[in-house]
Amino acid sequence: MLKKIALAAGLFSATALASNAVQADVKVGLLGGISGPIAAMAPPMLDSAKLAIQQVNEQGGILGGQKLEAVVGDSACNPQNGVDSATKLVNIEQVAGLIGPHCSGSVLAVANSVTVPAGITLITPSGTSPEITGLEDKGQVFRTVPSDDFQGRSLARTLLNLGTKKVAVAYLNNDYGSGLANAFKVEFEANGGEIAGYSAHEEGKASYRSNLAELSRGGADTLVIFDYGDGTGLTILRQALENGFFTNFVGGDGMKSDAIIRELGAENLTTFIASSPVGEASNSLELFNKAYIAVGGNPDAIFASNSYDAAFLMALALEKAGGDATKVSEAMAAVSDGQGEAILPGEWKKAVELIAAGKDIDYKGASGDLNFDNAGDVPGSYGLFKVEGDAFALQQALN
Amino acid sequence: MELIGLLNYAVFMAIFIGIYSLLALGLNIQWGFSGLFNAGIAGFFAVGAYSSALLTAPESAVHLGGYQLPVVVGWIGAMIAAGAIAWPIGKVCLRFRSDYLAIATIGVAEIIRLVVKSEGWMTGGARGVNKIPRPFGDLSYLYSQLAYLALVFAIVLVVYWAIERQISAPWGRMMRGIRDNEDAATAMGKDIKARRLEAFIFGAAVMGLGGALFAHFNRSITPEAIDPMIATFLIWIMLILGGSGNNRGALLGVAVVWIIWSASEFVTDQLPTEYAIKAKYMRVFIIGLLLQLVLRFRPEGILPEPQGTAGSPEVKTFQKQESAAK
Repeated sequence: MLKKIALAAGLFSATALASNAVQADVKVGLLGGISGPIAAMAPPMLDSAKLAIQQVNEQGGILGGQKLEAVVGDSACNPQNGVDSATKLVNIEQVAGLIGPHCSGSVLAVANSVTVPAGITLITPSGTSPEITGLEDKGQVFRTVPSDDFQGRSLARTLLNLGTKKVAVAYLNNDYGSGLANAFKVEFEANGGEIAGYSAHEEGKASYRSNLAELSRGGADTLVIFDYGDGTGLTILRQALENGFFTNFVGGDGMKSDAIIRELGAENLTTFIASSPVGEASNSLELFNKAYIAVGGNPDAIFASNSYDAAFLMALALEKAGGDATKVSEAMAAVSDGQGEAILPGEWKKAVELIAAGKDIDYKGASGDLNFDNAGDVPGSYGLFKVEGDAFALQQALN
Repeated sequence: MELIGLLNYAVFMAIFIGIYSLLALGLNIQWGFSGLFNAGIAGFFAVGAYSSALLTAPESAVHLGGYQLPVVVGWIGAMIAAGAIAWPIGKVCLRFRSDYLAIATIGVAEIIRLVVKSEGWMTGGARGVNKIPRPFGDLSYLYSQLAYLALVFAIVLVVYWAIERQISAPWGRMMRGIRDNEDAATAMGKDIKARRLEAFIFGAAVMGLGGALFAHFNRSITPEAIDPMIATFLIWIMLILGGSGNNRGALLGVAVVWIIWSASEFVTDQLPTEYAIKAKYMRVFIIGLLLQLVLRFRPEGILPEPQGTAGSPEVKTFQKQESAAK
């Protein structure tokens, strides 16, 4: 039986090689949480990834003029649908690489049971779980968003440096919120800070006043919120402001949302700061913003820039690997390792020419410099943002 | 490559059909043969998945465990844990009539989900349990999938055989007797509470085994997997469509619904991109519509229970309960 399958496999791969030559499209999978709990966040992320693919095609295409095509799959933010959809993308659509899935649980399941066994490289724009670092992935799993560990820890150190020694922490009870909160708590306490209240909350409730009252009982005047500013985080912040539970507010990157300024008004947010990733080569972000606005997107949508970077990096890696799926992971690490000529968002043509000339390139992403470490993680550089006028402005960089 | 890909996908679908078969067979013991409306399948699925994961996973700073026991021990542990959790729940809830039992079990599943998410010291919280060993996981993609499929199928066969035996035994006839006419069964001296509890625990243990097989297949389990849509209602639809009270019907229902659920993505992908994303929601709609149509035109399912339960009060009240459950 096994022999027959092996024989069949050999035959099919032989015919596939022949048929690949006439195939004009290079396919990548775009796996997002379209239905399910992050349904509101997924469309801007998919759109920004498609923008990267559109730029590739407009600037001469990939691998000698072929068209790069994205096949969209729905992971519904759960491992069951994620694995199902990834299996289809990898086996039926025969994608050369996978951009996504969006949620950490899906990333773990998809990497373990589909992409790593199949030898396909995966890059997620929003899987922030620290568990992804430890995957036994043969170097085939990357992400363009820092692990929650990085942000939580650097925010804790910065707050202590600013003189805030006592805080209460409210976090959304999912992988994003609890990952950040855990890392923050460990680092904050290790460096002499005091956590005077620490509680998880479920999303979608009408009132969080009882949670807030409980948190304020510890006597802290600063509330740290790890949540999404266009969801539950907004409700929490509003109710905390209305009832005067706390005076100072600190948010994670999810809280740096325009929805907060729009709904609560800049004049009420003078004591609110949020940490968020910043690109060091900051005109990368401007280039992306301009291009994304031109196609009708909102560049401040959460994870939009990470998603764009993931797609652009996948295209660069495919180009460098010469379309060989087994070499994509190696190429991915090489195109963004901090060495070589800088490539900014949208500079596809320049990148292709440099690759063709055998030169080393280094992608400077819209969401940060994105220099991958050995685990495929990016260290992330963060800044503290405050509200100025009707927008967020950088106050200081985090260490 | 293309055909190998097709084979890989088919094997994967078969594995998922096997895992869901265990959930549907467990539900069939509870609802099909005993008339217990359990709307908390996801909860028992989670207990099984996490128990087996914690028993077999290597040590980790974020959750309990590090026992690294053999996978078989994990699977047996999953059945025992799911059964053990079902015991107090059954003790409390089984005195309710079926619609109240449905509400109570939804609540129980939600409690289990929140405990899993919140009690991080035990379950790893939102980070979940990772590095769970997968039997034959070191083989290449296709072979490791084929080997896992063989394992899943062997387990489904054993479970199917065990349930069939139990159902054709006097116990099975008694359960159907209790289901169809509680008063008559009481009059004949049957201890209804105890018998129902047996069926509830038996079904829950089978569901727990299904959860364990799922966790080991993905080498990871996170709270995101305990989604009522995909781990409770989808299974109800499978059982109702296939024919509750008939194990072969349950298996058929699982295969039909999963294939429709999974393969419908290809159909929606044929649409232009701007509609294709919206069309992903169509899949959820299609499944709901299918359920409505089956309930309207063939309430007994594709393969009805051998004696025929068409027109029995349960089937008629199901529609009401299903809409209430949503």
